[in-house]
Amino acid sequence: MTRKHHITTAFDRDLEAIQAMITRMGGLVEAAILDAVRALETRDVELADQVRRGDATIDALEEQINIEAARLIALRAPTAADLRTVLTAMKIAAALERCGDYAKNLAKRSNVLSTMPAIEGAAGSIRRMGKAVQLQLKNVLDAYSQRNADLAEQVRQGDHDVDQMYNTLFREFLTHMMEDPRNISACMHLHFIAKNIERVGDHATGIAEQVIYLVSGVLPDDDRPKADNTVISSGTSG
Amino acid sequence: MKDILIPELDVTADSTKISARGVQVYYGETHAIRDIDVDIPDKAVTALIGPSGCGKSTFLRCLNRMNDTITTARVQGDIRIDGEEIHDPRIDPVQLRAKVGMVFQKPNPFPKSIRDNVAYGPKIHGLTRTRAELDEVVEKSLRRAALWDEVKDRLDAPGTGLSGGQQQRLCIARAIATSPQILLMDEPCSALDPIATAQIEELIDELRARFCVVIVTHSMQQAARVSQRTAFFHLGSLVEYGETGDIFTNPADPRTESYITGRIG
Repeated sequence: MTRKHHITTAFDRDLEAIQAMITRMGGLVEAAILDAVRALETRDVELADQVRRGDATIDALEEQINIEAARLIALRAPTAADLRTVLTAMKIAAALERCGDYAKNLAKRSNVLSTMPAIEGAAGSIRRMGKAVQLQLKNVLDAYSQRNADLAEQVRQGDHDVDQMYNTLFREFLTHMMEDPRNISACMHLHFIAKNIERVGDHATGIAEQVIYLVSGVLPDDDRPKADNTVISSGTSG
Repeated sequence: MKDILIPELDVTADSTKISARGVQVYYGETHAIRDIDVDIPDKAVTALIGPSGCGKSTFLRCLNRMNDTITTARVQGDIRIDGEEIHDPRIDPVQLRAKVGMVFQKPNPFPKSIRDNVAYGPKIHGLTRTRAELDEVVEKSLRRAALWDEVKDRLDAPGTGLSGGQQQRLCIARAIATSPQILLMDEPCSALDPIATAQIEELIDELRARFCVVIVTHSMQQAARVSQRTAFFHLGSLVEYGETGDIFTNPADPRTESYITGRIG
């Protein structure tokens, strides 16, 4: 993709401003996920509250991106790669906003869990899964700012690992619940957390597809490997 | 959240340069524009848009009293630049036009050299004392008009030998050579191809750092691209005036919406 400057430099400035907002939003979401899983592991209520409050900034950024994108379409009539830049920015912002919500929900559940007896090993596993998903987000945001379709494709393929972590956790929680019904409350919360982190991974994949579309003009086919098989393997639940 | 806004888009802090109240223009019996009230900000580009015959050019020509040159035209109302009424008998229209420069639809360089085209204004207004000073004004004006690099080796060549886009930039250089405070542009790109148009638009965007720019354009997209404020004229009235982004994403008046979406015109 050629990335020469526009003759009208204000056009570049507006496009860059939108992309800078995406990058900033992505950074905030990454931090929110890491902080939320850390708050869960260390039972840090204050840190969890901070994550919950921080979501407002992420939401405001999404709104701002939508306003600027609408403005840019109205004022500059973007075409080709410029048009894709605006369209993908709106979609990526929406995906990141959802991820922010998941982090907020995680923080909320983490505070509830801090009042319950700990489930052995769960918080550590969740933190590792959160870390893996945050890395996926980081890579896809790098792919976005570098216009790197190959890196985006790697993120797409990497979602497999996150799905498998979720499957493992799902079975662990089932085992804990079967062993002792007093674990059910905590395990249900933990399961929702794991599921939400897995959803963040899916959003990272969606963003990766947007990056590929941004660079190549073509959305990738849906042929990536999927490994969330809890629906088929568990029969009664999932 | 202020820091995520694009600062250039924030025009709320601008001070008013031109203030018009109750402006009426008659051409003979024809009431061409009626009751125009508008405050035009300094250091910004204000676009006047509207269908042909809506009065936008007529209003633009009021701002440097160009309508005085039309015998049948009568202008009423109050137009102030920096608080000073431009129809005041103490105001010399020639001095006013040096302060309020104008660029027209068709590039109209004088049949003289590039240097003389730019030097003409400062010379007749006695703005420079020495040849060196004049050369300096010529260079500075051509640089600000983004033309210097293309013509610096042929300043004595005729201005009419330049391409259309270069001629228009020469006219802009000529207009800014007298150090005006306001630059009026009447369809400055309508005779130019898209690349020359983009170059002029980029130049306009640079000029607004120093001048109050008012531009009349038939192209709504051009208004959208270059201006911070947009005024929509229709049948001689000012229908809507506001921040350009607002006008083009969420106009308040249904007539504005119809015009910018291509439903009337």
